[in-house]
Amino acid sequence: MSSLKEKLKVQIIEQLNLEDLTPADIVEDAPLFGENGLGLDSIDALEFIVLLDSQYGIKIEDPNGAREIFHSLNSLADFIEKNQK
Amino acid sequence: MKIVAHSYVNSKGVFLNGDCVQTRVDLEVHFLNDLYRKLELNYPKFYKMDTLSKSALLADFVLTPYYTEKPELEDQLQLIFANDESSKQTDLKFIDSYELKENASPSLFVYTLPNIVTGELAIKHKWYGENTFFILPDFQTKFYVEQMEMSFARGNKYCLCGWMSNKTEENEECFLFLVSQSENKNVTNEIENILNTYRNE
Amino acid sequence: MKIYLKYGALISPLGNDIGSHFNALLHHESGIQLQKEEGFDGAALYLSKIPWLTENRYNTLLSKICDDLLVNVSTALLQSPKTAIILSTTKANMEEVDADSFASSRRIISEKFQNPNETIILSNACISGVLAINLAADYIQMGTFDEVVVIGIDVLNDFVINGFQSLRALSDEPCLPFDENRKGVSLGEACGAIVVSNKGGADFSVEYLGGASSNDANHISGPSRTGEGLVRVVNKTLDRSNSKKEEINYISAHGTATLFNDEMEAIGFNRLGLENVPINSFKGNFGHTLGAAGIVEVLMCMVSMEKNTLFKSVGFEKLGTTVPLTVLSENLDLDLHVVLKTASGFGGGNAALLMRKIG
Repeated sequence: MSSLKEKLKVQIIEQLNLEDLTPADIVEDAPLFGENGLGLDSIDALEFIVLLDSQYGIKIEDPNGAREIFHSLNSLADFIEKNQK
Repeated sequence: MKIVAHSYVNSKGVFLNGDCVQTRVDLEVHFLNDLYRKLELNYPKFYKMDTLSKSALLADFVLTPYYTEKPELEDQLQLIFANDESSKQTDLKFIDSYELKENASPSLFVYTLPNIVTGELAIKHKWYGENTFFILPDFQTKFYVEQMEMSFARGNKYCLCGWMSNKTEENEECFLFLVSQSENKNVTNEIENILNTYRNE
Repeated sequence: MKIYLKYGALISPLGNDIGSHFNALLHHESGIQLQKEEGFDGAALYLSKIPWLTENRYNTLLSKICDDLLVNVSTALLQSPKTAIILSTTKANMEEVDADSFASSRRIISEKFQNPNETIILSNACISGVLAINLAADYIQMGTFDEVVVIGIDVLNDFVINGFQSLRALSDEPCLPFDENRKGVSLGEACGAIVVSNKGGADFSVEYLGGASSNDANHISGPSRTGEGLVRVVNKTLDRSNSKKEEINYISAHGTATLFNDEMEAIGFNRLGLENVPINSFKGNFGHTLGAAGIVEVLMCMVSMEKNTLFKSVGFEKLGTTVPLTVLSENLDLDLHVVLKTASGFGGGNAALLMRKIG
């Protein structure tokens, strides 16, 4: 699980063009969205959907319902573990 | 018309009213990211932006002291921006994302319109006024002056004019000038000289 | 000084002239059809595509509208130094993006019209068309030009289709503006031209009263939840037109059929007190034609004003916004006087203009 989380951090930084961040900057249970998080918005949520599909084979049909999945790195990693093809 | 302040960004650094405010230091990273860190802009959205918006944000940042105590900026400022290539750099990256990587990237696509620059500035400063983006073959002082004349005739009090060129990576330039309606002066030559001086720094 | 808007030309899947478009809209026709093998998974998509455009699509379409203008408008006017040409487009010719996607536009217009002034190119997302008409009026007000020909054009291509797909903004059925079942945009392509002039004349024209633009200052691709930019731009437009909102008989809205855009417009129009004014969206007929939208839709407003007929908002059955709007569910014969056109676009832009029937 921890190696998945480390891999995920790198992938998020790359997919979302967050050049200034290192994996160490992503706190695992902190919110990803909103101004207090990484400043991510609804467009970034779409990038997460692309990431889940291309890297883990998981398709998400409804982006709005998926907000809980993207809440934090932990929730994202949990979801992938349960649903990865 | 009166030029209130002007700024310029290129691979050498960030300039305000003719003086260098910050030179580029770290050659390992793209100069826009280097300048962002050195100026301590502290605006997390910066990293997601394309180079047009990044260069405009930097040039805008050093003009910020000139925005204070000007309540008219909220609704009576017009953004008059232009460049020669629209969003070509990002366009090509977006095309790669679906042709090569087979995953069309939404965060790239949103930057494939040149006027996103004016949107980013409006968001940052909560400017609700007019905004227009033009495609010009090169910087034309007369064109900007004409646009400003019409803007002031319509009732605007300030114009923030922007020119950015990004023909190749590392070759970007961004020139911003804030102009007020006050004074009955012709600023064409002044603007021309300012840009020439910056380009020859 | 009075400023006039006159018919120039119009090409879309619905026809190649103004008359054909009047008939098409009278009969609720739509250019939106299921097109095979479109989109990044090669599936089928609902698009409004011009069927006779095959190769070199942008250049061909631009050349055709220039040829139409040479017939519809006098050559002397097109060549005059007191005439300017403004081009409104979001992406111009993406087939030439590796070089310069705007070069062919300048070349074609220059060759066709032989006008001494450089073509002014305005590229400001989906509000470009309305902005371009406003700019034309400004130039005439200033005395810089006597006439300005405004051309709005965008064509469909992989770039734009893949882009909107990546944003999950496309509907999987023909778009339903303001409807409770709306699911997103149907993209379209078209080319329209309007002549803005300081002279009236025998042919039908409407009076341009004023216009403005604004920014939501909220998000680069999503509209403001409060309709702030729309409210400000309409108020500024009314101000500059010396008009009151009570005078508005009809609103041609942006109405892209996304959940957020149509809701934002409803909120904005309610805040303005315009919820009882007949309103429609032309996106159900033309699809969303991006840089051409403002021009194409103003042309149809002019047709409505000429014929005193408002067109049904195609795709609309039941209102799906949290606040009321008077969306046209059928054609309506109405003596029109003052008409408001609004547009919103990526980058948070909003634009509006006000027109009045003459006589």
